[in-house]
Amino acid sequence: MIPIVESPVLSEVQGSSSIADGVERRLDPRVVDLERTIGWIVTAVVSAGLFFAGVITLIAARSMPGWAMAAVVIVWLAVTALLAWWLQRWPTIYYRYASYVVDAEGIEIRLGVVWRTVTNVPRSRVQHTDVSQGPLERRFGLGTLLIHTAGTDAAVVVLHGLAHETALAIRDHLLPRGGADAV
Amino acid sequence: MPSDRRLHPFSILFGLGSQLRQFVIPGILVLVTARSAGGDWQAWSMLFLIPYSLAVIARYASFRYRYEDHELVIRTGLIFRNERHIPYARVQNINAVQNVLHRLLNVIEVHIETGGGQEAEAKMKVLPVDALDEMRRRVFADRQPGGIAAETESVPALPAGRVLLHLSPRELALSGFIDSRGLVVIAAAFGLLWEVGLLDRTVDRFFGEQDSGRGLVREVVRAIYAGGQLPLDRLALMFGAFIALLGLIRLLSMAWAAIRLHGFTITRTGDDLKTEFGLLTRVVTTIPLRRIQTLTVREGPLHRLFGRAAVRVDTAGGDHNERGATQREWLAPIIPRARLTPFLTEVLPELDLSAVEWHGVAPRAVRRAFVEWMVVAGFIAVPFAFFPSWWDLAVAALLIGWAALAAKKTIGHTRWATTPDAVLYRSGWIRRQLSVARFAKIQVVTMHESPFDRRTRMRSVKVDTAGAADASHRVDIPYLPREIAIDLYHALASNAGGTTFKW
Repeated sequence: MIPIVESPVLSEVQGSSSIADGVERRLDPRVVDLERTIGWIVTAVVSAGLFFAGVITLIAARSMPGWAMAAVVIVWLAVTALLAWWLQRWPTIYYRYASYVVDAEGIEIRLGVVWRTVTNVPRSRVQHTDVSQGPLERRFGLGTLLIHTAGTDAAVVVLHGLAHETALAIRDHLLPRGGADAV
Repeated sequence: MPSDRRLHPFSILFGLGSQLRQFVIPGILVLVTARSAGGDWQAWSMLFLIPYSLAVIARYASFRYRYEDHELVIRTGLIFRNERHIPYARVQNINAVQNVLHRLLNVIEVHIETGGGQEAEAKMKVLPVDALDEMRRRVFADRQPGGIAAETESVPALPAGRVLLHLSPRELALSGFIDSRGLVVIAAAFGLLWEVGLLDRTVDRFFGEQDSGRGLVREVVRAIYAGGQLPLDRLALMFGAFIALLGLIRLLSMAWAAIRLHGFTITRTGDDLKTEFGLLTRVVTTIPLRRIQTLTVREGPLHRLFGRAAVRVDTAGGDHNERGATQREWLAPIIPRARLTPFLTEVLPELDLSAVEWHGVAPRAVRRAFVEWMVVAGFIAVPFAFFPSWWDLAVAALLIGWAALAAKKTIGHTRWATTPDAVLYRSGWIRRQLSVARFAKIQVVTMHESPFDRRTRMRSVKVDTAGAADASHRVDIPYLPREIAIDLYHALASNAGGTTFKW
């Protein structure tokens, strides 16, 4: 029903240990630790913000019955605990549903738990690639791969949570080769 | 050595003109206040114009361009020199704008667009008219194998073009009539002003208080909910005035289209499409056929009533959301339906619309679309729930009926197809759109699954191309049965990967 044009293999897979072997890979497990660390930071910031909001409320409403004060404290504790629990739980779920495949044709990325997306970037459409590393990522030895295409909505395809070396390897593989005017 | 070319000397004039325009109003203010205040110092501030004028002259004096073997080289700047090389192979399109003054002086403003950036890569204000022809020949001739060498001063003329489409003033007026939809917003704004009571203060002076429209809606609502008297005579008057306003707007829109797009002509020369139009401001754009990223055919209800359609293309060059002077994204603002297929065959030779085998989406999609409509209707209904009345039931029945009909019709018109080298997608029931994305222009393919998709075993497949404007119709096929979506996704990805993208 759907015509499939047999496409010639664009180039030899470089070396046997190449990343471009068409095997579905997961992100680096350290991404869970990274996301959890970020989760703690977010929890701390939100919790502190709520704490100060509560303090200001208590000061503003001078005479507050004891039970109301207790309720405020309990709500604050509950929100903090819930947020902390969720932000520690979420990275493992996210990790379970994230994967990528690199082969001679290009890269395919699967992301999303509730709303799931599979993105395919053919190698011939890669304009350029970046590997970025923030301070926290550097600590965990991780990197983010950014694939730039000429597209509009998917002008940048981001793959976050790779081992830095893996990100570099994929970047090297996706680099447009000279010769043909792919641009 | 290729010889250097310069801008037309009138460039100084136009440069000064555009500077002056920014100064005219403040300038007049300054002069007027200077006279009334009796002080001279404000007038002296007009001296600020002098450095601007010098800059304009310097720009003209330093601007040079030349045609190398495979690139256009533009040098600018007296102090900070800048040399820009634009390979001919990278040029997406050449646009030329000529306003009334330009035409009087026989000069033209040329924009050269490549794939990069939001702006045109080179804006040449202004060139002699014949320089445009030379530029088009040199830049686009290079693409053919054995293109002309830049050194040869005599450039072979391109073969005469074939006219694909010429729009008569009648067609253009019709296109203005059909497209004036956007101006309804203005009418609505007038209505709102009226309702709030800003307009009627002026109107009252002419018609007396009785005829003013203030609070008419309020009165109608009161009549419905509190059993008051419907102000029928005033309603009729309002309605009549509104219709008259709409008619006036349509007329203006028709006149405007006839002037702006006057003499709209598309010619095909070799593999380039040349579009020319404009009565006052003349616009000439050239798009190489292979630079077309996606093509969209639009048919609104009025289009169908008159048996017409509109054709739009996305190209990678320039600002995609610009609706400015060039309007180059309109391949055909209006075209008779009967001529659509041969026209598309000229633009996309590989495409044969009549041979395309269309596929529908999953049958259960109707139910999902119905539920989506009902959710929207539910949100609209919330405020009315506070004032229950028998009218609400009637409106609810009407809404449900409409949602059922719209869901069925919309899904019925959501169709997709693949040809050996492109993917096609059509959508919309009342406003129908059909888009064609060639595999060679597909950048990224995505497949998406929402929780609702998962429950109904569906997925959507989307294709991303270069140069799509915000409002462009995307090839984003929803409600596909899961297996078909997966097959389509793989087919598109491998087909896109198997072709070399050339902007």
